[in-house]
Amino acid sequence: MPTDAPVVSLRSVGVCYRSRGRLLGGATEYWALSDVSFDVYPGETIGIVGRNGAGKTTLLKAIAGIIEPDQGSIAREEINLSMLSLQVGFLPQLSGRENAILSGMLLGLDRNAAEHRVADIEAFADLGGHFNEPLATYSSGMRARLGFSCALHSTADVLLIDEVLGVGDQNFRVKSNAAIKDLIRSNRTVLLASHNLATIRELCDRVVWIDNGRVRAAAATGEVLDEYMQ
Amino acid sequence: MKQRIRDIIQYKTYAELKAESQRYYLGFLWWLIEPVIYMLVFYFVFGILFQRGTEDFVVFLLTGLVFWHWFQSTVMQGVDTLQANRVLYNQVFVPKYLFPAVVMLKNSAKFGVVLAVLLLFLLVYGINPSAPWFTALPVLAVGGAFIAGTTALVAAITPFVPDLRVLIENGMRALLFMSGIFYDINSFQTPYRIVFELNPVALLIDNLRSVLLRNQFPDWGELAAVFLLATVLGLAGLALMRANESRYAKIAY
Repeated sequence: MPTDAPVVSLRSVGVCYRSRGRLLGGATEYWALSDVSFDVYPGETIGIVGRNGAGKTTLLKAIAGIIEPDQGSIAREEINLSMLSLQVGFLPQLSGRENAILSGMLLGLDRNAAEHRVADIEAFADLGGHFNEPLATYSSGMRARLGFSCALHSTADVLLIDEVLGVGDQNFRVKSNAAIKDLIRSNRTVLLASHNLATIRELCDRVVWIDNGRVRAAAATGEVLDEYMQ
Repeated sequence: MKQRIRDIIQYKTYAELKAESQRYYLGFLWWLIEPVIYMLVFYFVFGILFQRGTEDFVVFLLTGLVFWHWFQSTVMQGVDTLQANRVLYNQVFVPKYLFPAVVMLKNSAKFGVVLAVLLLFLLVYGINPSAPWFTALPVLAVGGAFIAGTTALVAAITPFVPDLRVLIENGMRALLFMSGIFYDINSFQTPYRIVFELNPVALLIDNLRSVLLRNQFPDWGELAAVFLLATVLGLAGLALMRANESRYAKIAY
Protein backbone atom coordinates (compact mmCIF):
# COMPACT_ATOMS: atom_id res chain seq x y z
CA MET A 1 0.00 0.00 0.00
CA PRO A 2 1.43 3.41 -1.01
CA THR A 3 2.38 5.69 1.83
CA ASP A 4 1.55 9.06 0.17
CA ALA A 5 -1.52 11.04 1.13
CA PRO A 6 -4.67 9.91 -0.69
CA VAL A 7 -5.68 11.83 -3.85
CA VAL A 8 -9.35 11.13 -3.23
CA SER A 9 -11.00 10.39 0.11
CA LEU A 10 -14.59 9.28 0.46
CA ARG A 11 -16.19 9.55 3.89
CA SER A 12 -19.66 8.08 4.50
CA VAL A 13 -20.77 9.11 1.04
CA GLY A 14 -24.46 8.75 0.26
CA VAL A 15 -26.20 9.67 -2.98
CA CYS A 16 -29.96 9.88 -3.17
CA TYR A 17 -32.07 10.10 -6.30
CA ARG A 18 -35.48 11.63 -5.79
CA SER A 19 -38.24 11.16 -8.28
CA ARG A 20 -40.06 14.41 -8.86
CA GLY A 21 -43.14 14.79 -6.70
CA ARG A 22 -46.58 14.97 -8.29
CA LEU A 23 -49.68 16.65 -6.98
CA LEU A 24 -51.21 13.24 -6.43
CA GLY A 25 -48.61 10.88 -5.03
CA GLY A 26 -45.51 12.32 -3.48
CA ALA A 27 -41.85 12.02 -4.32
CA THR A 28 -39.98 8.79 -3.76
CA GLU A 29 -36.40 8.49 -2.60
CA TYR A 30 -33.83 6.01 -3.73
CA TRP A 31 -30.41 5.80 -2.11
CA ALA A 32 -28.04 4.68 -4.85
CA LEU A 33 -25.10 4.86 -2.45
CA SER A 34 -24.95 4.94 1.29
CA ASP A 35 -22.13 5.15 3.78
CA VAL A 36 -19.34 4.55 1.28
CA SER A 37 -15.85 5.26 2.60
CA PHE A 38 -12.47 4.51 1.10
CA ASP A 39 -9.27 6.27 0.02
CA VAL A 40 -7.56 6.34 -3.34
CA TYR A 41 -3.78 6.65 -3.31
CA PRO A 42 -1.65 8.09 -6.10
CA GLY A 43 -0.64 5.61 -8.78
CA GLU A 44 -2.83 2.72 -7.72
CA THR A 45 -5.51 1.00 -9.74
CA ILE A 46 -8.72 0.20 -7.95
CA GLY A 47 -11.29 -2.13 -9.39
CA ILE A 48 -14.97 -1.55 -8.67
CA VAL A 49 -17.21 -4.58 -8.93
CA GLY A 50 -20.88 -5.13 -8.26
CA ARG A 51 -24.11 -6.22 -9.93
CA ASN A 52 -25.97 -4.03 -12.41
CA GLY A 53 -27.58 -1.20 -10.47
CA ALA A 54 -25.33 -1.68 -7.46
CA GLY A 55 -24.14 1.94 -7.68
CA LYS A 56 -20.83 1.69 -9.57
CA THR A 57 -21.58 4.42 -12.09
CA THR A 58 -23.10 6.66 -9.42
CA LEU A 59 -19.91 6.21 -7.41
CA LEU A 60 -17.71 7.25 -10.33
CA LYS A 61 -19.95 10.22 -11.11
CA ALA A 62 -19.76 11.38 -7.50
CA ILE A 63 -15.98 11.08 -7.47
CA ALA A 64 -15.81 13.00 -10.76
CA GLY A 65 -17.93 15.78 -9.23
CA ILE A 66 -20.70 15.33 -11.79
CA ILE A 67 -23.12 14.78 -8.95
CA GLU A 68 -22.70 15.85 -5.37
CA PRO A 69 -23.17 13.46 -2.45
CA ASP A 70 -26.26 14.05 -0.33
CA GLN A 71 -24.42 12.73 2.69
CA GLY A 72 -20.79 12.56 3.68
CA SER A 73 -17.97 14.15 1.76
CA ILE A 74 -15.47 13.56 -0.99
CA ALA A 75 -12.10 15.28 -0.61
CA ARG A 76 -9.97 15.63 -3.72
CA GLU A 77 -6.39 16.78 -4.07
CA GLU A 78 -5.77 19.58 -6.53
CA ILE A 79 -5.60 17.19 -9.40
CA ASN A 80 -6.90 16.79 -12.87
CA LEU A 81 -9.52 14.09 -12.61
CA SER A 82 -11.79 12.91 -15.34
CA MET A 83 -14.27 10.23 -16.17
CA LEU A 84 -13.23 8.39 -19.28
CA SER A 85 -16.53 8.71 -21.10
CA LEU A 86 -16.93 7.84 -24.73
CA GLN A 87 -18.12 10.29 -27.35
CA VAL A 88 -18.35 13.24 -24.96
CA GLY A 89 -20.21 16.14 -26.52
CA PHE A 90 -20.18 14.65 -30.00
CA LEU A 91 -22.30 16.54 -32.52
CA PRO A 92 -23.33 14.64 -35.66
CA GLN A 93 -22.89 17.55 -38.08
CA LEU A 94 -19.28 18.21 -37.08
CA SER A 95 -16.36 16.39 -38.65
CA GLY A 96 -14.35 13.81 -36.74
CA ARG A 97 -11.58 16.37 -36.36
CA GLU A 98 -13.88 19.06 -34.94
CA ASN A 99 -15.52 16.60 -32.58
CA ALA A 100 -12.10 15.52 -31.35
CA ILE A 101 -11.22 19.13 -30.50
CA LEU A 102 -14.54 19.86 -28.79
CA SER A 103 -14.35 16.59 -26.86
CA GLY A 104 -10.81 17.36 -25.75
CA MET A 105 -11.86 20.74 -24.39
CA LEU A 106 -14.83 19.22 -22.57
CA LEU A 107 -12.52 16.62 -21.04
CA GLY A 108 -10.40 19.39 -19.55
CA LEU A 109 -7.87 20.60 -22.13
CA ASP A 110 -7.53 24.17 -23.27
CA ARG A 111 -8.08 24.82 -26.95
CA ASN A 112 -4.40 24.75 -27.93
CA ALA A 113 -3.76 21.47 -26.22
CA ALA A 114 -6.92 20.01 -27.71
CA GLU A 115 -5.83 21.01 -31.20
CA HIS A 116 -2.36 19.59 -30.64
CA ARG A 117 -3.78 16.30 -29.55
CA VAL A 118 -5.79 15.83 -32.73
CA ALA A 119 -2.94 14.29 -34.73
CA ASP A 120 -2.57 11.48 -32.15
CA ILE A 121 -6.30 10.86 -32.13
CA GLU A 122 -6.43 10.78 -35.91
CA ALA A 123 -3.58 8.26 -36.02
CA PHE A 124 -5.09 6.01 -33.39
CA ALA A 125 -8.66 6.08 -34.69
CA ASP A 126 -7.35 5.20 -38.14
CA LEU A 127 -10.42 6.42 -39.99
CA GLY A 128 -8.56 7.61 -43.10
CA GLY A 129 -10.32 10.35 -45.05
CA HIS A 130 -13.46 9.94 -42.94
CA PHE A 131 -11.77 11.89 -40.15
CA ASN A 132 -12.68 15.09 -41.96
CA GLU A 133 -16.23 14.02 -42.79
CA PRO A 134 -19.27 14.77 -40.61
CA LEU A 135 -19.87 12.29 -37.83
CA ALA A 136 -23.39 11.71 -39.21
CA THR A 137 -21.85 9.71 -42.07
CA TYR A 138 -20.04 7.32 -39.70
CA SER A 139 -21.05 3.77 -38.95
CA SER A 140 -21.53 3.02 -35.27
CA GLY A 141 -18.21 1.17 -35.25
CA MET A 142 -16.41 4.19 -36.67
CA ARG A 143 -18.08 6.41 -34.12
CA ALA A 144 -16.95 4.09 -31.35
CA ARG A 145 -13.36 4.18 -32.65
CA LEU A 146 -13.33 7.98 -32.66
CA GLY A 147 -14.97 8.11 -29.23
CA PHE A 148 -12.46 5.68 -27.79
CA SER A 149 -9.49 7.49 -29.31
CA CYS A 150 -10.61 10.82 -27.85
CA ALA A 151 -11.05 9.33 -24.41
CA LEU A 152 -7.75 7.47 -24.59
CA HIS A 153 -5.83 10.68 -25.13
CA SER A 154 -7.13 12.26 -21.97
CA THR A 155 -4.33 13.79 -19.95
CA ALA A 156 -6.06 13.54 -16.57
CA ASP A 157 -4.00 12.33 -13.59
CA VAL A 158 -6.87 10.35 -12.16
CA LEU A 159 -8.94 8.34 -14.59
CA LEU A 160 -12.39 7.00 -13.82
CA ILE A 161 -13.20 4.24 -16.26
CA ASP A 162 -16.69 2.81 -16.54
CA GLU A 163 -16.59 -0.41 -18.53
CA VAL A 164 -14.91 0.98 -21.60
CA LEU A 165 -12.53 -1.72 -22.64
CA GLY A 166 -12.24 -2.74 -26.24
CA VAL A 167 -14.62 -1.36 -28.84
CA GLY A 168 -15.10 -1.77 -32.58
CA ASP A 169 -14.15 -4.67 -34.85
CA GLN A 170 -11.74 -7.48 -33.94
CA ASN A 171 -8.59 -5.59 -34.91
CA PHE A 172 -9.53 -2.40 -33.19
CA ARG A 173 -10.77 -4.29 -30.16
CA VAL A 174 -7.37 -5.89 -29.66
CA LYS A 175 -5.60 -2.59 -30.22
CA SER A 176 -7.89 -0.58 -27.95
CA ASN A 177 -7.73 -3.21 -25.24
CA ALA A 178 -3.97 -3.10 -25.30
CA ALA A 179 -3.93 0.71 -25.30
CA ILE A 180 -6.23 1.07 -22.33
CA LYS A 181 -4.27 -1.53 -20.39
CA ASP A 182 -1.11 0.45 -21.09
CA LEU A 183 -2.89 3.57 -19.92
CA ILE A 184 -3.98 1.87 -16.71
CA ARG A 185 -0.53 0.43 -16.08
CA SER A 186 1.08 3.86 -16.55
CA ASN A 187 1.74 5.99 -13.51
CA ARG A 188 -1.78 7.29 -13.32
CA THR A 189 -4.35 6.64 -10.68
CA VAL A 190 -7.25 4.64 -12.03
CA LEU A 191 -10.65 3.57 -10.81
CA LEU A 192 -11.98 0.87 -13.08
CA ALA A 193 -15.58 -0.28 -12.87
CA SER A 194 -16.08 -3.47 -14.82
CA HIS A 195 -17.89 -6.79 -14.99
CA ASN A 196 -14.87 -8.37 -16.62
CA LEU A 197 -13.28 -10.04 -13.62
CA ALA A 198 -10.31 -11.35 -15.59
CA THR A 199 -9.38 -7.79 -16.49
CA ILE A 200 -9.87 -6.61 -12.93
CA ARG A 201 -7.68 -9.42 -11.65
CA GLU A 202 -5.02 -8.59 -14.21
CA LEU A 203 -4.90 -4.83 -13.67
CA CYS A 204 -6.07 -3.87 -10.21
CA ASP A 205 -4.15 -3.57 -6.96
CA ARG A 206 -7.26 -3.41 -4.85
CA VAL A 207 -10.96 -4.01 -5.38
CA VAL A 208 -13.98 -2.31 -3.87
CA TRP A 209 -17.14 -4.42 -4.03
CA ILE A 210 -20.30 -2.35 -4.07
CA ASP A 211 -23.50 -4.16 -3.16
CA ASN A 212 -26.82 -2.35 -2.92
CA GLY A 213 -25.07 0.99 -2.66
CA ARG A 214 -22.82 -0.11 0.21
CA VAL A 215 -19.24 -1.27 0.38
CA ARG A 216 -19.46 -5.01 0.85
CA ALA A 217 -15.70 -5.50 0.81
CA ALA A 218 -12.58 -3.47 0.07
CA ALA A 219 -9.25 -5.26 0.07
CA ALA A 220 -6.57 -6.85 -2.10
CA THR A 221 -7.84 -7.98 -5.50
CA GLY A 222 -7.58 -11.75 -5.06
CA GLU A 223 -9.24 -11.70 -1.68
CA VAL A 224 -12.30 -9.68 -2.78
CA LEU A 225 -12.77 -11.46 -6.10
CA ASP A 226 -12.69 -14.89 -4.50
CA GLU A 227 -15.48 -13.82 -2.20
CA TYR A 228 -17.36 -12.02 -4.96
CA MET A 229 -17.44 -15.10 -7.18
CA GLN A 230 -19.07 -17.31 -4.59
CA MET B 1 -14.65 32.90 -16.38
CA LYS B 2 -11.94 30.44 -17.20
CA GLN B 3 -10.37 30.62 -20.64
CA ARG B 4 -11.22 26.97 -21.25
CA ILE B 5 -14.93 27.55 -20.62
CA ARG B 6 -14.87 30.58 -22.89
CA ASP B 7 -13.24 28.44 -25.59
CA ILE B 8 -15.89 25.75 -25.15
CA ILE B 9 -18.73 28.29 -25.40
CA GLN B 10 -17.19 29.77 -28.53
CA TYR B 11 -16.52 26.41 -30.15
CA LYS B 12 -19.91 25.00 -29.26
CA THR B 13 -21.64 28.10 -30.64
CA TYR B 14 -19.72 27.76 -33.88
CA ALA B 15 -20.47 24.04 -33.95
CA GLU B 16 -24.20 24.49 -33.42
CA LEU B 17 -24.44 27.22 -36.04
CA LYS B 18 -22.58 24.99 -38.45
CA ALA B 19 -24.75 22.04 -37.49
CA GLU B 20 -27.91 24.05 -38.16
CA SER B 21 -26.71 25.34 -41.48
CA GLN B 22 -25.76 21.86 -42.63
CA ARG B 23 -28.91 20.13 -41.59
CA TYR B 24 -30.95 21.59 -44.44
CA TYR B 25 -30.57 21.81 -48.17
CA LEU B 26 -30.79 25.62 -48.12
CA GLY B 27 -28.29 25.82 -45.28
CA PHE B 28 -27.82 29.17 -43.59
CA LEU B 29 -30.20 30.81 -46.06
CA TRP B 30 -32.83 29.64 -43.60
CA TRP B 31 -31.59 32.24 -41.11
CA LEU B 32 -33.06 34.76 -43.53
CA ILE B 33 -35.93 32.79 -45.00
CA GLU B 34 -37.41 31.76 -41.68
CA PRO B 35 -37.79 35.29 -40.27
CA VAL B 36 -39.07 36.51 -43.64
CA ILE B 37 -41.82 33.87 -43.68
CA TYR B 38 -42.62 34.74 -40.08
CA MET B 39 -42.90 38.43 -40.91
CA LEU B 40 -44.96 37.82 -44.05
CA VAL B 41 -47.59 36.03 -41.97
CA PHE B 42 -47.93 39.01 -39.63
CA TYR B 43 -47.91 41.45 -42.50
CA PHE B 44 -50.65 39.54 -44.27
CA VAL B 45 -52.86 39.36 -41.19
CA PHE B 46 -52.37 42.82 -39.72
CA GLY B 47 -51.31 44.83 -42.74
CA ILE B 48 -53.70 43.44 -45.32
CA LEU B 49 -56.56 41.57 -43.64
CA PHE B 50 -57.07 43.98 -40.76
CA GLN B 51 -55.99 46.99 -42.81
CA ARG B 52 -54.13 48.40 -39.89
CA GLY B 53 -51.65 49.59 -42.46
CA THR B 54 -50.83 53.20 -41.86
CA GLU B 55 -48.28 54.59 -44.26
CA ASP B 56 -45.16 53.19 -42.68
CA PHE B 57 -46.73 50.03 -41.34
CA VAL B 58 -44.29 47.67 -43.04
CA VAL B 59 -41.15 49.11 -41.43
CA PHE B 60 -43.01 49.63 -38.18
CA LEU B 61 -44.02 45.97 -38.07
CA LEU B 62 -40.66 44.61 -39.23
CA THR B 63 -38.72 46.50 -36.56
CA GLY B 64 -40.95 45.10 -33.83
CA LEU B 65 -40.93 41.57 -35.19
CA VAL B 66 -37.17 41.39 -35.65
CA PHE B 67 -36.62 42.14 -31.98
CA TRP B 68 -39.47 39.88 -30.88
CA HIS B 69 -38.11 36.96 -32.87
CA TRP B 70 -34.70 37.35 -31.21
CA PHE B 71 -36.30 37.44 -27.76
CA GLN B 72 -38.81 34.65 -28.25
CA SER B 73 -36.55 32.08 -29.93
CA THR B 74 -33.70 32.61 -27.46
CA VAL B 75 -35.83 32.35 -24.33
CA MET B 76 -37.76 29.30 -25.56
CA GLN B 77 -34.54 27.49 -26.44
CA GLY B 78 -33.20 28.49 -23.04
CA VAL B 79 -36.13 26.66 -21.44
CA ASP B 80 -34.99 23.37 -23.01
CA THR B 81 -31.25 23.76 -23.17
CA LEU B 82 -30.26 21.94 -19.98
CA GLN B 83 -32.49 18.99 -20.72
CA ALA B 84 -31.14 18.88 -24.28
CA ASN B 85 -27.56 18.70 -23.00
CA ARG B 86 -28.09 16.29 -20.11
CA VAL B 87 -26.05 13.50 -21.72
CA LEU B 88 -23.07 15.83 -21.86
CA TYR B 89 -23.14 17.02 -18.25
CA ASN B 90 -23.70 13.46 -17.08
CA GLN B 91 -20.34 12.54 -18.63
CA VAL B 92 -18.18 15.45 -17.58
CA PHE B 93 -18.51 18.26 -15.11
CA VAL B 94 -19.15 21.56 -16.86
CA PRO B 95 -20.59 24.76 -15.40
CA LYS B 96 -24.22 24.85 -16.49
CA TYR B 97 -24.26 28.51 -17.55
CA LEU B 98 -22.33 27.32 -20.56
CA PHE B 99 -25.56 26.05 -22.16
CA PRO B 100 -27.75 29.18 -21.98
CA ALA B 101 -24.66 31.18 -23.03
CA VAL B 102 -24.40 29.12 -26.21
CA VAL B 103 -28.13 29.56 -26.87
CA MET B 104 -27.76 33.33 -26.44
CA LEU B 105 -24.73 33.62 -28.70
CA LYS B 106 -26.15 31.36 -31.38
CA ASN B 107 -29.43 33.26 -31.62
CA SER B 108 -27.69 36.62 -31.45
CA ALA B 109 -25.52 35.69 -34.41
CA LYS B 110 -28.64 34.79 -36.38
CA PHE B 111 -30.30 38.00 -35.20
CA GLY B 112 -27.27 39.95 -36.44
CA VAL B 113 -27.87 38.68 -39.97
CA VAL B 114 -31.56 39.59 -39.85
CA LEU B 115 -30.79 42.99 -38.34
CA ALA B 116 -28.35 43.77 -41.15
CA VAL B 117 -31.07 42.98 -43.68
CA LEU B 118 -33.58 45.11 -41.76
CA LEU B 119 -31.24 48.12 -41.71
CA LEU B 120 -30.59 47.68 -45.42
CA PHE B 121 -34.32 47.53 -46.01
CA LEU B 122 -34.85 50.74 -44.00
CA LEU B 123 -32.24 52.52 -46.10
CA VAL B 124 -33.79 51.31 -49.34
CA TYR B 125 -37.19 52.30 -47.98
CA GLY B 126 -35.92 55.85 -47.74
CA ILE B 127 -35.21 56.37 -44.05
CA ASN B 128 -32.25 58.68 -43.57
CA PRO B 129 -29.88 57.57 -40.83
CA SER B 130 -29.17 60.45 -38.48
CA ALA B 131 -27.60 60.80 -35.04
CA PRO B 132 -30.30 58.80 -33.18
CA TRP B 133 -29.69 55.80 -35.46
CA PHE B 134 -26.42 55.14 -33.70
CA THR B 135 -28.15 54.96 -30.35
CA ALA B 136 -29.73 51.77 -31.67
CA LEU B 137 -26.54 50.20 -30.36
CA PRO B 138 -27.23 50.88 -26.66
CA VAL B 139 -30.91 49.98 -27.20
CA LEU B 140 -29.89 46.63 -28.68
CA ALA B 141 -27.26 46.11 -25.98
CA VAL B 142 -29.89 46.55 -23.26
CA GLY B 143 -32.24 44.31 -25.29
CA GLY B 144 -29.51 41.67 -25.48
CA ALA B 145 -28.87 41.94 -21.75
CA PHE B 146 -32.57 41.47 -21.04
CA ILE B 147 -32.78 38.42 -23.32
CA ALA B 148 -29.61 36.93 -21.80
CA GLY B 149 -30.84 37.49 -18.24
CA THR B 150 -34.25 35.99 -18.94
CA THR B 151 -32.71 33.03 -20.74
CA ALA B 152 -30.30 32.32 -17.87
CA LEU B 153 -33.13 32.37 -15.36
CA VAL B 154 -35.55 30.11 -17.27
CA ALA B 155 -32.71 27.71 -18.10
CA ALA B 156 -31.83 27.46 -14.41
CA ILE B 157 -35.37 26.90 -13.13
CA THR B 158 -37.28 24.80 -15.67
CA PRO B 159 -35.29 21.56 -15.09
CA PHE B 160 -36.59 21.58 -11.50
CA VAL B 161 -40.08 22.85 -12.27
CA PRO B 162 -41.00 21.43 -15.68
CA ASP B 163 -44.57 22.71 -15.35
CA LEU B 164 -43.14 26.17 -15.78
CA ARG B 165 -42.56 25.41 -19.43
CA VAL B 166 -46.32 25.49 -20.05
CA LEU B 167 -46.62 28.79 -18.20
CA ILE B 168 -43.73 30.31 -20.11
CA GLU B 169 -45.24 29.25 -23.42
CA ASN B 170 -48.49 30.94 -22.54
CA GLY B 171 -46.67 33.95 -21.13
CA MET B 172 -44.92 34.26 -24.49
CA ARG B 173 -48.24 34.26 -26.29
CA ALA B 174 -49.54 36.98 -23.98
CA LEU B 175 -46.38 39.03 -24.50
CA LEU B 176 -46.65 38.67 -28.27
CA PHE B 177 -50.01 40.42 -28.15
CA MET B 178 -49.15 42.90 -25.41
CA SER B 179 -45.80 44.23 -26.54
CA GLY B 180 -46.95 46.55 -29.28
CA ILE B 181 -45.51 44.52 -32.11
CA PHE B 182 -48.30 45.27 -34.57
CA TYR B 183 -49.70 48.41 -33.02
CA ASP B 184 -48.22 51.51 -31.45
CA ILE B 185 -48.24 51.44 -27.65
CA ASN B 186 -48.21 55.26 -27.64
CA SER B 187 -51.74 55.31 -29.04
CA PHE B 188 -53.11 54.01 -25.72
CA GLN B 189 -54.19 56.25 -22.86
CA THR B 190 -53.97 55.64 -19.17
CA PRO B 191 -54.98 53.42 -17.38
CA TYR B 192 -54.10 50.89 -20.11
CA ARG B 193 -50.65 52.30 -20.68
CA ILE B 194 -49.45 50.58 -17.53
CA VAL B 195 -49.51 47.25 -19.44
CA PHE B 196 -46.72 48.58 -21.63
CA GLU B 197 -44.86 50.65 -19.10
CA LEU B 198 -44.27 47.58 -16.97
CA ASN B 199 -43.41 45.40 -19.97
CA PRO B 200 -39.67 45.42 -20.83
CA VAL B 201 -40.28 43.92 -24.26
CA ALA B 202 -42.76 46.67 -25.18
CA LEU B 203 -40.37 49.36 -23.94
CA LEU B 204 -37.45 47.89 -25.87
CA ILE B 205 -39.44 47.65 -29.10
CA ASP B 206 -40.77 51.18 -28.67
CA ASN B 207 -37.28 52.55 -28.08
CA LEU B 208 -35.91 50.67 -31.06
CA ARG B 209 -38.61 52.26 -33.22
CA SER B 210 -37.83 55.69 -31.78
CA VAL B 211 -34.22 55.54 -32.86
CA LEU B 212 -34.64 53.73 -36.17
CA LEU B 213 -37.92 55.12 -37.51
CA ARG B 214 -38.85 58.31 -35.64
CA ASN B 215 -35.47 59.98 -35.59
CA GLN B 216 -35.65 60.31 -31.80
CA PHE B 217 -33.19 59.45 -29.07
CA PRO B 218 -34.14 56.60 -26.76
CA ASP B 219 -35.66 57.13 -23.33
CA TRP B 220 -32.53 56.57 -21.26
CA GLY B 221 -34.50 56.22 -18.03
CA GLU B 222 -36.50 53.33 -19.49
CA LEU B 223 -33.34 51.68 -20.80
CA ALA B 224 -31.65 51.99 -17.41
CA ALA B 225 -34.66 50.41 -15.69
CA VAL B 226 -34.73 47.50 -18.15
CA PHE B 227 -30.98 47.02 -17.79
CA LEU B 228 -31.31 46.88 -14.02
CA LEU B 229 -34.04 44.26 -14.33
CA ALA B 230 -31.91 42.30 -16.81
CA THR B 231 -29.01 42.29 -14.36
CA VAL B 232 -31.19 41.05 -11.52
CA LEU B 233 -32.70 38.25 -13.66
CA GLY B 234 -29.30 37.23 -15.00
CA LEU B 235 -27.59 37.18 -11.62
CA ALA B 236 -30.48 35.19 -10.14
CA GLY B 237 -30.16 32.66 -12.96
CA LEU B 238 -26.40 32.35 -12.55
CA ALA B 239 -26.67 32.02 -8.77
CA LEU B 240 -29.30 29.29 -9.11
CA MET B 241 -27.21 27.32 -11.59
CA ARG B 242 -24.18 27.68 -9.38
CA ALA B 243 -25.98 26.60 -6.22
CA ASN B 244 -27.40 23.52 -7.98
CA GLU B 245 -24.38 22.74 -10.14
CA SER B 246 -24.24 19.05 -9.20
CA ARG B 247 -28.00 18.49 -8.94
CA TYR B 248 -28.97 18.91 -12.58
CA ALA B 249 -27.20 15.66 -13.45
CA LYS B 250 -29.45 13.77 -11.02
CA ILE B 251 -32.76 14.93 -12.46
CA ALA B 252 -34.62 12.11 -14.17
CA TYR B 253 -36.28 13.69 -17.17
